[in-house]
Amino acid sequence: MEKRIALVACNGGCRNDSCGYGCIGCAACVSVCPADAIVINDCGVAEVDESLCLGCGACGDACPQGIIHLHDPGCPMVVKCSNRDPGKVARNACQVSCIGCGICEKVCPSGAAKVTDDLSTIDEELCLSCGMCAVKCPRHAIYDLRGVLTAKR
Amino acid sequence: MATFFVNGQAVTAEKNQTLLRFLRDELHLTSVKDGCSEGACGACSVLIDGETCRACVPKTDSLEGKHVLTVEGLSDFEKKLYTYAYGEAGAVQCGFCIPGMVLCTKALLDKVADPTEEQMRYAIRNNYCRCTGYVKIIKAMVLAAKLKKAGVIPEPSETDWKLGSSVHRLDVEEKVLGYGKYPDDWYLDGMTYGSAVRSEYPRARVLGIDASKAKALPGVVAVLTAEDIPGENKVGHIKHDQYSLIPVGGLTHWLGDPIALVVAEDQETLEKAKKLVKVTYEPLPAVHGPEEAKAPDAPRVFDEEETNVQAYKHVSRGDATGAIARSKYVISKHFETPWTEHAFLEPECAVAYMDEDGYVRVLSTDQSSHTTLHECKILLGSDKVRVQNQLVGGGFGGKEDMTVQHHAALITYLTGRAVKVKLSRAESLLIHPKRHPFWMDFTIGCDENGIIQGVKASVYSDTGAFASLGGPVLERACTHASGPYNYQNFEIEGTAYYTNNPPAGAFRGFGVTQTCFAIESLLNEMAERIGISPWEIRYRNAIRPGQELPNGQIVGPETGLVETLEAIKPYYDAAVAAGKPVGLASAMKNSGVGVGLPDWGRCKLIVEADAKVHIYAGASCIGQGLGTVLVQMVVTNTPLNRDDIVYERSNTWIAPDSGDSSGSRQTLITGEACRRACEKLTEALKTRTLEELNGEVFYGEYLAKTDKLGADVPHPVSHVAYGYATQMCVLDRNTGKIESMVAVHDVGKAVNPRSCEGQIEGGVVMSMGYALREQYPIDDNCKPIDKFGKLGLFRAHEIPEIQAIVVDKPGLDVACGAIGIGEITSIPTAPAIAEAYYQLDGQRRTKLPLSDTPYERRCR
Repeated sequence: MEKRIALVACNGGCRNDSCGYGCIGCAACVSVCPADAIVINDCGVAEVDESLCLGCGACGDACPQGIIHLHDPGCPMVVKCSNRDPGKVARNACQVSCIGCGICEKVCPSGAAKVTDDLSTIDEELCLSCGMCAVKCPRHAIYDLRGVLTAKR
Repeated sequence: MATFFVNGQAVTAEKNQTLLRFLRDELHLTSVKDGCSEGACGACSVLIDGETCRACVPKTDSLEGKHVLTVEGLSDFEKKLYTYAYGEAGAVQCGFCIPGMVLCTKALLDKVADPTEEQMRYAIRNNYCRCTGYVKIIKAMVLAAKLKKAGVIPEPSETDWKLGSSVHRLDVEEKVLGYGKYPDDWYLDGMTYGSAVRSEYPRARVLGIDASKAKALPGVVAVLTAEDIPGENKVGHIKHDQYSLIPVGGLTHWLGDPIALVVAEDQETLEKAKKLVKVTYEPLPAVHGPEEAKAPDAPRVFDEEETNVQAYKHVSRGDATGAIARSKYVISKHFETPWTEHAFLEPECAVAYMDEDGYVRVLSTDQSSHTTLHECKILLGSDKVRVQNQLVGGGFGGKEDMTVQHHAALITYLTGRAVKVKLSRAESLLIHPKRHPFWMDFTIGCDENGIIQGVKASVYSDTGAFASLGGPVLERACTHASGPYNYQNFEIEGTAYYTNNPPAGAFRGFGVTQTCFAIESLLNEMAERIGISPWEIRYRNAIRPGQELPNGQIVGPETGLVETLEAIKPYYDAAVAAGKPVGLASAMKNSGVGVGLPDWGRCKLIVEADAKVHIYAGASCIGQGLGTVLVQMVVTNTPLNRDDIVYERSNTWIAPDSGDSSGSRQTLITGEACRRACEKLTEALKTRTLEELNGEVFYGEYLAKTDKLGADVPHPVSHVAYGYATQMCVLDRNTGKIESMVAVHDVGKAVNPRSCEGQIEGGVVMSMGYALREQYPIDDNCKPIDKFGKLGLFRAHEIPEIQAIVVDKPGLDVACGAIGIGEITSIPTAPAIAEAYYQLDGQRRTKLPLSDTPYERRCR
């Protein structure tokens, strides 16, 4: 589909501010969003209201961490983490970090999920939206944005 | 444990399991089809809180309080709505994907009252269909949206059930609402589960089998080995070289070779027990492909064989070498085509039990219940077997061999217990025979006007671990390699090699899909060399009524290749005039087995106590719609109405053997047998009513008589009938993607034009995959490495506009002029697409799938 929407690839489970990759809650995205679609949630990270997002991409340009991507709303399975540290470091940094364990890659039926640099990514062109990755992720770093197979956040 | 709602009812799942297993095994909601259990196919789609989800993904414990909907839970209006829309659009073929598609449609229409066609394609893009090419499913969605808004469901647009009428297929409702039974939908009392332990090595000597630990596991019913087989171990269509179980001391031929059959009370115990069977091997060097197979010192795939050559064919008429030497223009090229997986949506499954008469009853999904019967009898050494076809979730040639049926029969025969033997999707990908990869060298010679003087070719194929139909596929590849043209100097030799790869056998097109790519690609290049269009070179050479094919057969007045070319010309000219990259190719395909083999169609019309005529033909409907064809045949050829007729699925004890659903033969051959039975019934109805005819049987049979390959007659009849086709591919110059496909087919009389279109669309999309993306990679251990979701099958949102055109030309004087359409739909597609890409970028591609296209499969 043509329309794409913004996704903040961080779910705000960090401890001791030791994750250098995630959302820092600076609200740069909030201030540039023309549709008021972004808020800083109670975990202190930016969250996009998909129903309001226009897909303009201004937030992505504004984000100093570079963790807001435009994605296909028809592909609800998303990795909400940007941590590229090795598994052990990533595990200690956050409760819901991707540790690059590769289970998503193993269970993905279509070759869409892949771990590179200790971080899982999903190729939306190949993804069949089955959610096997989200269900099997031991770190709850992969979400079904519809809130069906996983909690919404 | 979790409590949630299924179709509005509160249910509690005690054991944490996938939703799919709970819905099927505990609630027996069998509309939720198990197509892969790995998240790929979409056949188990349900709605959870209104969103489409695959039931094989979530565990029941995660569903507390949620609402699950299956098609069984649709409202009465919705059931009627989707049955009508899918029937009217002609969207139902094998039916296995349909309940999932229906739920995707509902989820969309519940959210968007007036969706665009793009939104519809998008709504089903995660669900695979292998039969329809999605075209008619999308039409059904458009229609459903319209009717849902209107709130009223009209009468079907065509209702007279005579030949030529696009009536709704008779199996629409059971497939839309999911109550029609495929073998896996049977849950019998006391049913056990069976599965084979398979070879760990593609080629190894089995030194010992220790099943003691498995047998000791509580819940294990039996572990069977080759020693337990009462009859012949080896089965097979023509050559009996497929081991049902590898004996101790025997050689394994590929990773799918079964070594022991484990039977258990439940599926979990079965999986545990399989791991406890210890097989010791002496691993041996494997043969990885034809190049290795043909080496003088190659390991032999079979102990019993002198060489790895499974089949050799030589076809020659006239003087090809001389004619090519004298030709003004000569082109020689090498071509390669890949393995292809059928990817039917329903994995192989058979259920067997002892029936009330002491026979082993096999409920099967296959392309001929009589073939299954024959093979099971060989294995059991007993005639006490009956086979009953269930719904068949697609075949395309991949369900012609024994995969599970014979194992199920053996288990019931030896244990007396009912059993279900089912392949996982991974097993299915390994086990049923695939489309042969071919390596082909072709030379064509033409005169200055583009008239073909002669063609000479040499081809070889990898037929894998057992013969299956490797010989006939090779033969058909050779006999049709000439293309549908009028020339008399033709020579081809072909060899099929055994290897330790998975077996190859029948696949829609039966060898012709491969050689057609070579000859049609050469013809396109030749047209350019001579300076005429691809259309013109075909029109000049096209076989016309009364002319002689390169195989010597003189074709009859029904021959319609020229008509397909004339029908496509306006589209072709318009695309060329618009400056679009366009490619064209033609093909012929036999309807019927031919080449002198006894090809019988048989049909019984039995008047039963309900005062209806029941159609019994031992011929499988594998999704193509044979039941509807036969009912339309009866309505046309008797004074009866649709309501007087019942179609019975193929069985082996009432329905007479009418051959395999193979070679595009059922419409023509069983159709003619049915027509002959109708003549007798019509005669009887002149003096008596159906009530008075109760118990009478009207039998029709038809032998499609042909001559042997190389028969010593001036003009051997190789096949009783051929279908002809010309297809065209138009590319979008900006995106490099396919803008449209036009497929013109000569099928004689189209029995049900909408079904016929559905066959064409499905065949074209299947071969778009063959041309552009599908692969079946095999690793160094002879193991296919990809899962179902990685095969590269086309998805709904990727499908271009597909125009299916049926040329209305009177057919033969059999089966009311109907000729089979099944295979030819897939044959000229790949060379047409290859030519379009040449027109786009000037690169001649001689290998499939085509390289450097936007469809090329990316590896992650």
